Amino acid sequence: MSDATLAAPTEGGALEPGELLVREAVPAALISMRDIWKTYQMGSEQVHALHGVSFDVQKGEYMAIIGPSGSGKSTLMNLIGCLDTPTRGEYWINGKNVSEMDDDELARIRNKEVGFVFQTFNLLARATSLHNVELPLIYAGMGSAERHEKAKQSLAAVDLTDRMMHRPNELSGGQRQRVAIARALVNHPSILLADEPTGALDTATSYEIMNLFERLHAEGNTIIVVTHEPDIAARAQRVISIRDGMIEKDERLK
Amino acid sequence: MTGRGDTETRGRGEEEQPSFSPRRRVAASPRRIAASALWESFRVAFGSLRANKLRAGLTLIGIIVGVSAVIAVVTIIKGLDQTVASTFSSQGSTVFTISKRPQIITSREDFLRFNKRKDVTHDDADAIARLCTLCWRTGLSANVPQATVKHGDEKMDGVTIRGITLSMFDIDAVNLDAGRFWSESEDAAGRDACVVGADIPENLFGGAAPERVVGREVRVAGHLFQIIGVAEKKGKIFGFSRDSLIYIPYTSYQKLYGARDSLVVFIQASSAERLAEVQDQVRSLMRNRRARTFRDADDGFALETQDVFLDLYGKATSNIYIVTVGVAAISLVVGGIVVMNIMLVSVTERTKEIGIRKAVGARQSDILRQFLIEAVTVTAIGGAIGVATGFGLAYLISLLMGFPLLMSVNSAVLGVGVSSIVGIISGLWPAWRAARLHPIDALRAE
Repeated sequence: MSDATLAAPTEGGALEPGELLVREAVPAALISMRDIWKTYQMGSEQVHALHGVSFDVQKGEYMAIIGPSGSGKSTLMNLIGCLDTPTRGEYWINGKNVSEMDDDELARIRNKEVGFVFQTFNLLARATSLHNVELPLIYAGMGSAERHEKAKQSLAAVDLTDRMMHRPNELSGGQRQRVAIARALVNHPSILLADEPTGALDTATSYEIMNLFERLHAEGNTIIVVTHEPDIAARAQRVISIRDGMIEKDERLK
Repeated sequence: MTGRGDTETRGRGEEEQPSFSPRRRVAASPRRIAASALWESFRVAFGSLRANKLRAGLTLIGIIVGVSAVIAVVTIIKGLDQTVASTFSSQGSTVFTISKRPQIITSREDFLRFNKRKDVTHDDADAIARLCTLCWRTGLSANVPQATVKHGDEKMDGVTIRGITLSMFDIDAVNLDAGRFWSESEDAAGRDACVVGADIPENLFGGAAPERVVGREVRVAGHLFQIIGVAEKKGKIFGFSRDSLIYIPYTSYQKLYGARDSLVVFIQASSAERLAEVQDQVRSLMRNRRARTFRDADDGFALETQDVFLDLYGKATSNIYIVTVGVAAISLVVGGIVVMNIMLVSVTERTKEIGIRKAVGARQSDILRQFLIEAVTVTAIGGAIGVATGFGLAYLISLLMGFPLLMSVNSAVLGVGVSSIVGIISGLWPAWRAARLHPIDALRAE
């Protein structure tokens, strides 16, 4: 475990691994991963996808997680996005310990704290942009009038007011990804978690989407982008490199 | 704006700006969660049915066949019951009979016992007519079934010859299409007049109009009777005509067929409410005539209403009905299996969608409910159409067989209700499978 993974920027200076566990119970950081392990059982063999990963993310950070395929970055993304729970270790998001949550509590965290942006957009094919953006609000239990209003605002913020009633197959790739971003942010999550957000887009559109991320960051959102492209990672303030299930580097760019 | 210090101070002041900044959220109430997610479930259900019209149609057919079979069978049975009830109690619930033997005897011992009883005689009938102050009408009636009657060279088989006293026209509520009943003086004089059922002009007189038959003659057991009236058509029951009969005066009947049989006395109370009272009076009167004291358990005669036939009918048919409805219900079970199969396909096909929904915060219960509602929507729609088709079938069959159509709200509600339950049962497992999908695996599906 490198010192860099343990260094909380506000505290300055590295902590010994032992000290990590005796810190205050609820961390001050928005996201706090403490000695996270993820182990899969493959037949009789145990495969460690993550070997004791620890890092903090502060509110308002723009961070990239980079690594080759098989490095464990997808596993890490699934854990950050609360789609999965770690085998061992603690994961705190916005003061809540996710590592011990059951399925329904995780669903609630995904609904409230995490906004996903996927490589393949993952929009509901038969639903309009508006309905796609409303989806998280539906599961949050919001009434329809308020929901419509919020979803419209969200679509307006990604300049898609004129595409509200279009279905995904009537939109370009960039527009689809903007709908996905509007959906990710409609419930005002703690983090925006993007998994290869430009992987299915051409260069010009990728550029447009990355600019949008920068704008969102400037508006105060915390953004984590998972990618294997150095260009995309370079747009972030901080880059964590993953290799073989461990943090190889944690560097600040700006 | 990129510094952390800035973001700390943001937060609350921004409610009005249409931008994406983290801000405080208001927790929704559980009730609202249910309402909005429920509506979403219905939306998705209808959307999915629209998107897969052929599949939805086939599923619907499965349910429609099942429900309409059950509804049709139940409706037809009800119609038959009603027909039977109205046939057997055409005299209404105010009439009862005094006879030597009950109309239905179930054992040999009973038969022997009843045979030892005294015959019901004209003296008994006269005594009842004279002494029963509460009785409204009394009359005598006797039948010979399956007689052959003739007119010239024309012959007609299977005719019931019914010898009746004049009052029986009232007790039996016989209405005439043409002609008249015989008069009291004709009755007393023993005139050979008769009133015929609607089948007689049809079969024996080449379909002549009732008016044209009046005044003509018909030969019964070698004896000529003049037709003075034609009764109204009553229709068929179970394929047997109720119009193939000839009423002749009781005295003529006894001359033709003998007067040694025990009589059946028909007694009518003025209203159904008074029936029990009238029965009591007749019973005590008859017990006196049979010299029964309060110690004798047996009356020495049978006092019966037409309900005995209905009871017998009910006993005889209830098992048949259960089997028939059961067979029809099996098709509903098959429909349920079709729904389950389709739902399983639907879940597999929409694994990705389930993953997306889970990623944005759908809980297991949300997914479970969505697929359950989808299954129930199909089966409830199928149930509603099935109820309509079932009633339609029953209507056609009732037209063909000639019995009343009894469409009840109950069976409609039952049809939709049962099919919805079938939907829940057959949707439960697929929905549970969908709900249990791991979000990562579901998202990975194509």
